[in-house]
Amino acid sequence: MAENVTDQRRQEDEAAASSSSPSTPEGLTAPAKGPRFKRDVIFDVEDINVYYGDHKAIRDVTLDLHVNEITALIGPSGCGKSTFIRCLNRMNDLIPSARVDGKIVYHGEDLYGSDIDAVQVRKRIGMVFQKPNPFPKSIYDNIAFGPRVMGMKGDMDEIVERALKRGALWDEVKDRLKTNAFGMSGGQQQRLCIARALATEPDVLLMDEPCSALDPISTGRIEDLMSELKQEYSIVIVTHNMQQAARVSDMTAFFTVELHDEGKSRTGAIVEFDETDKIFTNPEDKRTEDYVTGKFG
Amino acid sequence: MPASQRLHFQEELARLEEQALGALDLVVTTLDRTLEALHHRDIELAAIVIQDDDRIDGRYLEVHQGILSLLALQAPVASDLRVVAALLHVIKHAERMGDQCVNIAKLLPLTGHEPPVDEEILAKVEKMGALARSEVSQSKQAFLLRDVALAEDLVRQDAEINQLNKEIFRRAVEVGGDPDVREWGMTMMLVARSMERIGDNAVDVGEQVAFVVSGLFREFSDASHR
Repeated sequence: MAENVTDQRRQEDEAAASSSSPSTPEGLTAPAKGPRFKRDVIFDVEDINVYYGDHKAIRDVTLDLHVNEITALIGPSGCGKSTFIRCLNRMNDLIPSARVDGKIVYHGEDLYGSDIDAVQVRKRIGMVFQKPNPFPKSIYDNIAFGPRVMGMKGDMDEIVERALKRGALWDEVKDRLKTNAFGMSGGQQQRLCIARALATEPDVLLMDEPCSALDPISTGRIEDLMSELKQEYSIVIVTHNMQQAARVSDMTAFFTVELHDEGKSRTGAIVEFDETDKIFTNPEDKRTEDYVTGKFG
Repeated sequence: MPASQRLHFQEELARLEEQALGALDLVVTTLDRTLEALHHRDIELAAIVIQDDDRIDGRYLEVHQGILSLLALQAPVASDLRVVAALLHVIKHAERMGDQCVNIAKLLPLTGHEPPVDEEILAKVEKMGALARSEVSQSKQAFLLRDVALAEDLVRQDAEINQLNKEIFRRAVEVGGDPDVREWGMTMMLVARSMERIGDNAVDVGEQVAFVVSGLFREFSDASHR
């Protein structure tokens, strides 16, 4: 920018102009994204409606979730993100007034089919919650609990070690496996809960705001862990932190709240579901744009 | 998230846009002076153009720093992110256009005092200057209004500039036989070349307008055929 470089710049400009290739008659355009590499679908969700009693909590949710991808669910409070993620491992069955309409096909099978055992579903589809919730037991017993209940075969020490390694916790706790899990830090407790969910060999991990009670360092660890885990698992995460969604996820679904009866009744609905990159650089829907840019929410 | 929480961010983004587009106004002023210096063969005014380029460079640094801070602190996304990215280009192009004015201003003293001139070349160079000025103004207006049609219209004007550039080249070759006019003619070719680059930079600003509006970057016209 100094004067003495302007001449050099001119030369560069001229060199660039003279070297511009005549073989690109259509000119420079941003590379159009080719068809995205198609992964296998793990959840084929069709027209899901969830009711709590007479109240419709979410309506008409249709989307495909893919194997070895992290899908983030974002949206304002009360938009049904948590209600939706709980449908994916039949957690809503535990709420007496809840009713789920529609179809969720998991590995080609109807998740809500009459012959499906909800306990087996939750073994294959693990869940981690907002607050770390270890059992008041030793670190070892926390991990071993699920495999024992499931009657999993094999060396329990190996199962525990494998789960703790996958949860990126092994090196920190290998010398104190028999101590109470409550003695761990919040971030360690949350990784313990992730390791516990992984101990039953699931193929999906559902995470409902897993970092909202954690400090930034612990959050970073969990995010790194998620990126490693997606090599082997499919992950669905509910998050209020949009930067977290942008950082970790491959796909993002934006949910919104629709108000009825002068605001007395609220129903969640999906607005846009696309690649995370698209959602955060050039969303299709104005409502998504307003939410991610912070103009509404 | 209430709208008010992002109010500071929106104000900051608007301020940065004003500063970046203001740099294009500075370019227009500089270009006016450059054309005047050319017309009157005013070496002092040319020296002022060179000196004053520091203002455009300073503006570049200001906007550049502001954009880095905004990216680091506010993590803009979607259309906000596109505006921020486009402003980085706009300010860079403004800085380059300022440099082209400096290039022209530095060439003027080389023509010597009252050189023999070819009126046809001079008229064409001045016409190019007027067109380049109009392009810079229009590119700013198109960005301000997010007007893609206005931005695309820059290509039409730029084609005219490119045509004049070629004509000047041909004419300079023709008059090159006369040793008295030869050196002046070659200098004017370089002046024309700088003006042609200013036009290209204005078209590039126009392309950023289309990017901000549509989210897709595309060249308005093929650089290899300009």
